[in-house]
Amino acid sequence: MTMLTVTINGRAYGPREVRDELSMNDFLREYLGMTGTKFGCGAAQCLSCAVIIDNPDGTSHTMPTCVVSAMNFNGKAIRTIEGHAKDGELSVLQKAFINHFAFQCGYCTPGFVNEGQVLLERLAKKPVARVDLEKTIAEALDGHLCRCTGYIKYHEAVRDVILADPGRYLSRD
Amino acid sequence: MWTSRREFVKGATASGIALSLSRLALAEEPGFAARETLPGRQAWNPAATGAGRIDGVAKVTGAKLYASDFRAADLPGWPANTSHAMLIRAADATHVYDGLDLSRLSGALKPVVVVTAADLARTGMRVPEFYAGDLLCPVGKTPLYLGQPVALLIFEDFDTFDQARLALRDEAVLKFGKETGPVKMPNYGAFRFTRVGGPTPDALDVYSPVKNGWVSPGRFEDSGRPIWARLPIPSGQDYAEAASYGEKIRAELAANNPALLVLDREFETQSVDPMFLEPESGLAWYDARRKNLELVVGVQSPYEAAESVAYLLGNAQAAFKPARINNNFAYCGGGFGGRDHTPFPLYVALAAVFFPNRPVRLANNRFEQFQLGIKRHAFKIRTRIGVDRATGKMVGFAADHALDGGGLANFSGQVATVGANAALGIYYVPKVDVTTYAFHSRGVTAGSMRGYGTLQTMTALEVLVDEICTALPLDPIEFRRRNALATGGRTMAGNPYIVSIRTPEILDKLEQHPIWKERAEQKARGQQAGFLVGTGIACATKDYGTGGDGTLASVELTPDGRITIHCDYVEMGTGIGTAVANRVAAHLGRVADQIAVAQVDTFGPLALVTSGDSYTMKQKTQDAAARNPRWVPAISTASTASIGAHVGTHAAAEAARIVFRFGLWPAALELWGIAPNDPKASEWKTARWKDGQLIMPGLPPLALPAVAAKAHARNGVTGAMAHAFNRWAWSQATFSLNGQAWTADIDALAVRRGSGKYVRVDRSNVKFPPTDFNRIGQSYTSGCGHVMRIEIDRATGALRIAKAYSVLECGQALVPEVVIGQAQGGFAMGVGYTLLETLPLYEDGPGNGKWNLGQYIVARGSDLPLHNLEIEVLPPVDENERPKGMAEVVMVPVVPALLNAIYDAIGHRFQSLPVTQKMIKGALK
Repeated sequence: MTMLTVTINGRAYGPREVRDELSMNDFLREYLGMTGTKFGCGAAQCLSCAVIIDNPDGTSHTMPTCVVSAMNFNGKAIRTIEGHAKDGELSVLQKAFINHFAFQCGYCTPGFVNEGQVLLERLAKKPVARVDLEKTIAEALDGHLCRCTGYIKYHEAVRDVILADPGRYLSRD
Repeated sequence: MWTSRREFVKGATASGIALSLSRLALAEEPGFAARETLPGRQAWNPAATGAGRIDGVAKVTGAKLYASDFRAADLPGWPANTSHAMLIRAADATHVYDGLDLSRLSGALKPVVVVTAADLARTGMRVPEFYAGDLLCPVGKTPLYLGQPVALLIFEDFDTFDQARLALRDEAVLKFGKETGPVKMPNYGAFRFTRVGGPTPDALDVYSPVKNGWVSPGRFEDSGRPIWARLPIPSGQDYAEAASYGEKIRAELAANNPALLVLDREFETQSVDPMFLEPESGLAWYDARRKNLELVVGVQSPYEAAESVAYLLGNAQAAFKPARINNNFAYCGGGFGGRDHTPFPLYVALAAVFFPNRPVRLANNRFEQFQLGIKRHAFKIRTRIGVDRATGKMVGFAADHALDGGGLANFSGQVATVGANAALGIYYVPKVDVTTYAFHSRGVTAGSMRGYGTLQTMTALEVLVDEICTALPLDPIEFRRRNALATGGRTMAGNPYIVSIRTPEILDKLEQHPIWKERAEQKARGQQAGFLVGTGIACATKDYGTGGDGTLASVELTPDGRITIHCDYVEMGTGIGTAVANRVAAHLGRVADQIAVAQVDTFGPLALVTSGDSYTMKQKTQDAAARNPRWVPAISTASTASIGAHVGTHAAAEAARIVFRFGLWPAALELWGIAPNDPKASEWKTARWKDGQLIMPGLPPLALPAVAAKAHARNGVTGAMAHAFNRWAWSQATFSLNGQAWTADIDALAVRRGSGKYVRVDRSNVKFPPTDFNRIGQSYTSGCGHVMRIEIDRATGALRIAKAYSVLECGQALVPEVVIGQAQGGFAMGVGYTLLETLPLYEDGPGNGKWNLGQYIVARGSDLPLHNLEIEVLPPVDENERPKGMAEVVMVPVVPALLNAIYDAIGHRFQSLPVTQKMIKGALK
């Protein structure tokens, strides 16, 4: 057993004693009741369980939670699907997913929202040329499995968010 | 989508257990109201303007929607803590099971309860007929199939459960004894479909399943394989007649007639997993003092699940038998048929009654889902087609299908018959003979999955048609034109479809598409660039409906014009809530404010009863039963078979029509000052809704709230609740409303006047579709064509889909964006089925408990032409064309089109699935 402290969606949790082998997915779902982070495969293959890690340098990336122990997140700040909307207002990406009918059953959606958001934040820091945009989105989202949609509407939604604010996300090349 | 948590009515089952069924509402409100998912409830309402789904906000915010999201603490009135259960499953089906070794779980890790087959027998548990076979394998028996559960372990809390599952990981906890080989069981069904048409397509059949009935051979080899030959025995004359016609057709195909091109080919399809993303899961709590069982599950067949659990427990010892079961149905994280008639809820219920007073959760992980979840059938298909060389027309067709059904019967017999009836695809052939049988094996149970037999047999057909076109030779589109079943033409069973057939338009679209037109230039371009280019085409038609679909809905209007809908269909991603809202809006002028799906519990005023099996009952039985005005052939059926738009919205649409005709229309007449005897008063069909206002030529527009208020004020019909039944045609009945006879495609009705309560309206002149319609293979169908261009790397065999085009027809598209989404998803699933997905059937397959997504490969975005897939939906034939099911047909032609493209690229025809990169590379050598 080890003491865990983690910041989730801006709120500090812990210190709390957890078993070393407890997965972060189980910590979120069974201990905190935060079931927006899904369990899909338990093998880091579908990424429906992915959450956002906010790095101290201001960058962000996603990480699966199903095969990673909760203790690996000790001291980290993470964001889950429950943390994207602020004061009752959906994020731009969440709205885009709805407007595009991007999802069907919706079980993979939290992972796609998180990954798409990380991509937006990355591009805001390091814009990409328009010509490389589709490839960039495809590479960013390719780890995520969706069985219902064929992925197209997810990609179109992310692309439209980027194209709606080219000064922020696209380089002038 | 917001409703009170406990809306239900009670129904009595034969077991004496009171049943209620509820759609599970959100357990807790997220940061902002989940009710914002309802159209019209919030400032930003995506669905009201067609810019989103009604469940959109909930799904992008991580709201608790799915069965796997709920714990006891989320549910009001439940104890705070959740216990956890696990199923121990056998990975051996050829040796006697000798018992359980749980020595690894000592001390604190010991389960609080271990349930075995002996416990089920001791306590009087019954297995529902549909799931016949031991729910838990008894000691001393060989498991019926790989992955068969043998024990249910229950742990006090999550920590103990989690540590126990880690302790048991990779450990052999089951003891096996002597080798017996696999358990032998009877097959799951064997049928022969033979048709000999009359001299012209319009003439009466000489012999057909509709005319002469369905037949089974009745004789089997020791192995269980049917004996298809006509035997010189006095019994089974019905079969003998079919067999004699069938054998004559086969003899003609084998006669070496030089005027005929006859191709005889074998084709094999693989077992695959639906791979819906949310593994099956459930939560249950048995309050022993109140004898109340609460269940939370996510299935496509809620009514069936509730009845099966009641049957399971209905004869149990007093301590294990609830007096009441409340079933709560959550959203499904995908379905594709795999959650239709799944035994999983039975195990959830068992966990609860064997650990009373403690909520217990049972959830598959992905390994377990692969091990126990329902699979798509592997088919072995042999097809012979005879084509007149002079006319290019198919004159004879014979096929033999064998399906591996795995360990339990499930829907194997039905998949076999649907696959057989789909064997002719879009074509008309005057002489047809198809045999099919589904057999038991030690593999994981196969059952319902998107495409349901059609995917397998139509793929074999369309690949063979491509080969015929090469051999004749004849342009593939021209061949299809010459042979396509025309409107009014007879299907293989001998009946015509009763819906539009749009194959000619689909073929025209395919022919005109640049992918097809430029195929030669693109091939040449590829040769210059050093890679192989192929173009493939295929066309499919897929039935929708099951031939026994019951559906329920109610539609209510408040004085200020707000609309509430309840319907029994389940949301598993198909957008049913949005579809039903849009269909009702066509009648009431506004998208609903509240929609509750998966409701089979709010229809008490109809007081429906049912009896018998609608698929097998005799006409006399139906006629006698129908004298009871509350009787219907089936009350509510599973959300499957592409019936969302067609069946799932039907009762709501009919209810809305009644609210309009007998509530809003009389109110509007009063507002317009038109007397009831004025000729204009009968012109209600002319009225249209536009921007929330009722429009009649020459009269001032009326806003919905004003009309609704008037309807309430004059105590008009402000709510209607209806039931409908479909056996390849809708039931029909007449109801007396406002002194007028109203005849509609429903068989039960209750109406609410003003703000009163629902009152049942007795029907008259009820006409249920004749029971002979059960001989029909299919009467509802929709079409889809597909063309795609691929590129193959000569050195590696790597395949890339460069461009693809799908054209489909689905009548009125209720939510066009969802239709497109289904087509895109069907494309992805079709690509995965063709190139990637496969499961070994037996010891190396998922029944061994070692399969996960690392081995089982499904299509990712990088496997697909994300920006080069074009979908076109044909407009309805007219504004009154009803919505048609389309979620299955869109997947079907993708597979043969891809196979035909591979042939076009490399000159090799693969006769089994999947076609992997390694196989392509091998063929290129």
